[in-house]
Amino acid sequence: MIDDRPRGAPGEPAVPAAGGDEPAGRRRGVSEQHRPLWLLAPGGLLMTVVIGIPLLLAVYIALVDLDQYTLRRWLQAPFIGVQNFVEAFQSGLLHSIWISVSFAVIATAATAPVGIAAAIVTQNAYRGRAWVRAAFLIPYVLPSFVVASVWRTMLQPDGIVNALLAKMGVTGGLWLSGPKAYWTLILVEIWAAWPFVYLMALAGLQSVDNEVHEAAAIDGASWWPKLRRVILPHLRGPVLLACLLGTLNHINNFTLPYVLFGVPAPDNVNVMPMMVYVTSFQSLRFGLSAAMAIVSLLLIAIPLFVYLRALRLDVHEEGGRR
Amino acid sequence: MSLRTMRAVMALAGATLLTTALAACGGSGDGGSGGGGKTLRVFIGANTQYPTQQQAWEKSIGDQFKTQTGATIQWETFASGSEELTKIQTSVVSGTGPDVYAIGTTFTPTAYATKAFVTLGDAEWQKIGGKDKFIQSSLGISGPDPQHQIGIPWVARPFVMIYNTELLKAAGITKPATTWDELTQQAKQLTKPGQYGLAVAYKDNFDPWKFIWGMATQAGDPIVDGKTARITDPAVKKAYQTYFGWVTTDKVVDPAAVGWTNPQALAAFAKGKTGYFALTSTTAANTLDASAVKGKWAFTLLPTVPPGATSRPAGGVEAASILSGDNLVVADYSKNKDLALQYVKLVTDGPAQLDMYKIFGQLPQNAASAQSLTSDPKLAPIVEAQNKSVSTPFTGAWADIQLALTNTVVQSIPDLAGGSVPDAKLDSLLAAAQKTAQSSLDRAK
Repeated sequence: MIDDRPRGAPGEPAVPAAGGDEPAGRRRGVSEQHRPLWLLAPGGLLMTVVIGIPLLLAVYIALVDLDQYTLRRWLQAPFIGVQNFVEAFQSGLLHSIWISVSFAVIATAATAPVGIAAAIVTQNAYRGRAWVRAAFLIPYVLPSFVVASVWRTMLQPDGIVNALLAKMGVTGGLWLSGPKAYWTLILVEIWAAWPFVYLMALAGLQSVDNEVHEAAAIDGASWWPKLRRVILPHLRGPVLLACLLGTLNHINNFTLPYVLFGVPAPDNVNVMPMMVYVTSFQSLRFGLSAAMAIVSLLLIAIPLFVYLRALRLDVHEEGGRR
Repeated sequence: MSLRTMRAVMALAGATLLTTALAACGGSGDGGSGGGGKTLRVFIGANTQYPTQQQAWEKSIGDQFKTQTGATIQWETFASGSEELTKIQTSVVSGTGPDVYAIGTTFTPTAYATKAFVTLGDAEWQKIGGKDKFIQSSLGISGPDPQHQIGIPWVARPFVMIYNTELLKAAGITKPATTWDELTQQAKQLTKPGQYGLAVAYKDNFDPWKFIWGMATQAGDPIVDGKTARITDPAVKKAYQTYFGWVTTDKVVDPAAVGWTNPQALAAFAKGKTGYFALTSTTAANTLDASAVKGKWAFTLLPTVPPGATSRPAGGVEAASILSGDNLVVADYSKNKDLALQYVKLVTDGPAQLDMYKIFGQLPQNAASAQSLTSDPKLAPIVEAQNKSVSTPFTGAWADIQLALTNTVVQSIPDLAGGSVPDAKLDSLLAAAQKTAQSSLDRAK
């Protein structure tokens, strides 16, 4: 039997530890100690300017009392330590985080099956499939501002949605205020975001080898066992990645709630980005809003880090085993 | 790391970032261009209603300015309040940017708080033609007192009501309401199946606080008294009850109005089935003249007697509108201050002010120009509203306070739709607004 396991399979380290014996024939000359890391310098510099420095500035601003009164001489703004952080927690930040996270998780949980189903529906060739695929992408290519504006118009108390519901004998009521506002936000987000999961799932489906389909057919697998035991496991990586990125996108979505509900927003849709925006651009509390943004970043980054480590989304065969 | 060291690091980081950003933006420096002359950078709002006319106006003013001074104007526009604020922030922090800004009147206290704009002394006022050339009441929101003014009145957009002349006549109403109670009463007379007495934009982001401030000020509560917020005073509660009552108990407003913004309320009025539209300005005229109410509408002053009264109580102010419009401010960092003041003089002199009215419908702040418009009977109420406009409290905390007042309405909308805002709920919302407002006032430096 021919061993066709890729290099790096269990028990067969592909890359030896630094300084260890190298497989015969491997090119010499570039060791881990002597890699030309300086080639990373341009990218590193760019990241420092675009990410590192602004992040440092945000941390600094979060520690000073920077507002409209001190903006002009921002370096002389009084240093107040963690007071901004304390005030952030006292002014409803946790409530906003809870709304953001719950909204994002529900939206992701709903978009995942819809996206996968849509990908499966458009996997096999049939007449008009290109049109269906194009139609599926419409919500994704529309700017968030347009999506929110259209939904806002449709969901007015005297809008088309309530008019249609009235014809069916249902009283629609308020969609953009009150208890239903939260579900409106989720509904519109699902409508706008499911094609992202669809795209990722479709990419995953198309990467499944023909041999896999043939093997399933030879084994006599009907559609459901084939889908459940053969196809879906292949989609695990791309769909989980889509869920992860989708959740982050939901949490960071500012345009949708801003256009749907305006400022100030009803309490039950006062998501994190809205709170940071109002604190910064309406109340002009730049220090406080920076503290809110940092707390939010940390709260999201911790589970995100754990999640990424647990999933090992780095699917590179070697990298994934390090 | 010591505080000093940390600040030095931050200064270096900030300088690096700003240098990179400014280099990337390719911003022009002060002066230097325009055929050897200087360049004045002017930052104004983009007029989305009249974009072509604005371009022509910019060219005309630019040509006149070039003839007068030899300098060129570089126009920069903003499309939204947040864009305006972002520009001001970055300019204030970096010490570079436009020389002249056009800012909303209610934003002037915030701009003053930054201390980044030129405080106008006698010499500066002289260079722009003297204070006397302006409508005196319009200077009320130029600064905290006459010695500390930064805002030069440019254009006015006082708030007024519009009423449907035919519907009022049909209802036997001979004179538009002058008190809030009278307005409610007339609105009831006007309301019948398929017709409402009043159009109000409850979901608007800016309208609600203007009603509350107006009614409370007329009752003698200016919302801010020195460094104290007075939102839990009875006058404010009465104002909210009146404002809410139109849709909950009086039922003179279309129930759908709980979801309306100002343009939606205007559109509802324009259908010809509403007696009054309670808060608008001259900019609504074009919409109305292209609608079913063409030739059937007229401006009138907002009531100036508080709810529950037939005359203003002692201490009450005849506030027909907030002082609304745009002020011009000159950046303190500008190296072209004299040029900036010459520009301000040009656009606040009579001919330019009348042009602003003819082209954009924006009212003059120049007293002589405004006076010349009073001969138009349709405009008389607008000019009167301008003369009876009152400044909102001049404090850097005002942005927070107006947000808190609006938030009270936003959080009440489900109850408004339900037909009643419980007293306890209103008290609780007012207490929260008071806390926010007082906290902001306490931070004022």
